[in-house]
Amino acid sequence: MIKEIQSFMKSILPEFYNHKKNVHYNSFYTFTDYWYLWTMGIFILAVTALSPLCIQALIHYQLIQKSANSEAILSAERLTSNAKRSITFFMKERLDALIFTVNEMGYERLTDNDKLAETLKNLKLGFGGLSDLSLIDKDGSLVAYAGEFNLEGKNYKCQPWFLHSLKKKYFISEVFTGYRDVPHIIIAVKSIKPDKSIFILRATLDTERLMETLTSYKTNDYTEIFLINHNGVLQTPSINYGNILTQTNLETVNYSNNTAVSMTNFKGIPVILGHSFISTDMVETPFILMVQKIKASIMHPWLELYRQINWIIGISIILIVIVISFASTFMVNKLYRLEMAKAEAMLQMEQNQQLAAIGQLAAGVAHEINNPLAIINQTAGYLKDLYRFKDGPKDDVEISDNIDSILDAVDRCGTITQQLMGFVRQFDIKIKKIRLQKIVSDVLSFHKKEAEYRGIHVTVSIPDTIPDMETDSGKLQQILVNLINNAFQAVDEGCCLDIIGSQMDDKTIQLIIQDTGCGIPEESLTKIHKPFFSTKQDQMGTGLGLSITYGLVKKLGGNISVQSTEGEGTCFTITLPVKIQEGTLA
Amino acid sequence: MKHIDILLIDDEKKFAAMLAKRIELRGYSSEICYDGRTALQWIKKNSFCVTLILLDLQLPDLYGTKVLSEIKKINPAIPVVILTGHGTEKDRKECEQLGAYMFMHKPPHIDELMTIMTRIKEQGVS
Repeated sequence: MIKEIQSFMKSILPEFYNHKKNVHYNSFYTFTDYWYLWTMGIFILAVTALSPLCIQALIHYQLIQKSANSEAILSAERLTSNAKRSITFFMKERLDALIFTVNEMGYERLTDNDKLAETLKNLKLGFGGLSDLSLIDKDGSLVAYAGEFNLEGKNYKCQPWFLHSLKKKYFISEVFTGYRDVPHIIIAVKSIKPDKSIFILRATLDTERLMETLTSYKTNDYTEIFLINHNGVLQTPSINYGNILTQTNLETVNYSNNTAVSMTNFKGIPVILGHSFISTDMVETPFILMVQKIKASIMHPWLELYRQINWIIGISIILIVIVISFASTFMVNKLYRLEMAKAEAMLQMEQNQQLAAIGQLAAGVAHEINNPLAIINQTAGYLKDLYRFKDGPKDDVEISDNIDSILDAVDRCGTITQQLMGFVRQFDIKIKKIRLQKIVSDVLSFHKKEAEYRGIHVTVSIPDTIPDMETDSGKLQQILVNLINNAFQAVDEGCCLDIIGSQMDDKTIQLIIQDTGCGIPEESLTKIHKPFFSTKQDQMGTGLGLSITYGLVKKLGGNISVQSTEGEGTCFTITLPVKIQEGTLA
Repeated sequence: MKHIDILLIDDEKKFAAMLAKRIELRGYSSEICYDGRTALQWIKKNSFCVTLILLDLQLPDLYGTKVLSEIKKINPAIPVVILTGHGTEKDRKECEQLGAYMFMHKPPHIDELMTIMTRIKEQGVS
């Protein structure tokens, strides 16, 4: 399970996640911080892609806000103006009925209590909402009364409503308790008796009926409709502001017949407050109609829209970020791979240049040394000839032996110069069909004596199934000579040297040369393929062997790698194509 | 005209002198030319009086392949053995194309040279 997760993580992680700095490639890298590139890529793409989306969303929000506000104001306005019309009509209807009663009945008939009771009954039947009728003289004394309260002998000359009624023809009072101690509204009509003195017909409106009318406009729990007077005292009960006749903190605005709506806060909750003064064409009333709607209730459908837009934007942002991340990973991966390939090519080029320089040097050395060698060779040869052909001390073996050793030394020098020349000639390839086993045993035959003498166990394991190779046998031989020489120099007595061949696939053969010798220090591992790098300073190593080997393996279209632990041994792994491709010959 | 067995064309005087002495010790006559033009003049005069030519590629005036092609124009039948210190694969191919008898690296083994000489004499090429 953990392995599966790891492999999944590996497949989605960017390739540069495990980027390890390689000292050889460092100087060839253009970019080093891939994480920075990656995150910058995501950031720039995200800013470019998301900012228009966010701006659009903001504009959307503002539009929705504006629409919602105007919608809320409009609906509050409609409600206020409808309720206002109803209340106005309610008042006007009852005032008109009273005017009609006064004009129709006249003073005399109204003073009759029975007739007044009859009229009240008819009025209640026709209009409703009236609780009693009283006829009051100009001095404030009650002349006649019809209704359920006992008000006989009451005088109203000091009552504020009475004083107001005397001044105007018609009068509508605010809610008050009066003598009966019950909240009520008075509608009064002033008229003239036959003797020209004035009297007042007063009707009492029960507030229940008024409240019913108001309540009929209340469409939901978030809406409240109530009446206040010009001083802000509640004229009908309110859930939010308190019971009837409670003083509210509502600002009573200057008189205006128009409906007005404003946004405000009530106990920290945004509300829409509509108000309108109630007045009939005949008389003003002390009432102000108040409509309070909680803004959130009107905003509800808009909030739903908000939520939907938020979801869409949220999902879009997630999708965009995912796509952007993938795009950035893709691009940085491409860049990373190009960088790696470039660095490898550059390193290869550098190595090739170094090898070419060594080649020129080698050719120069060979050129300079070869001629004097030829002279030494011929001179020594001539001396030997003289000894052989001319008469002289032929029994003196020492002269002949010494000349032979000169010739031997010259031969060895000749071999060295030829090897150096071979270094230049590694660019030429001669393809032959060869058997790996034979090449290996040929090379090992040079070391047979040394292995026996030093007690080195050499084991070769190359299965017969390995096909014949088509490659440059000379170069393969040289590779093996170099690596086996190295191994022999690295091992002590009794150590092992294993040469293992195997076929990796139809086209590739692997050859492992491992020893249990002194190993290569870790810091040297990365340098061993560099020309002139040698760990055998004291033994006069030239530092060319592995460098040439690396070049040769590459030339044969193969690869070489090395693992080594200091003190434990070294393992060179070579992979070579079974058949060298024409393209690699260049 | 005196018949010469081996004509040495080499600018390395000591080497040529030694080799000539060793050849003479083995009973063959030899002649040395130190540069290409002298050698060509000599061959023009004595083209049918030489058995084998040993030719170095690095000569002070002409490159060995040039000398070889000129020799072949004068007398294509003379066997020319190239004896060079640092001939490349390219030189070898060129010389083979121009009709060189053999391509050898310095220093030469005198016995090998003698074997070649014997073989040429046996084949009767001259």
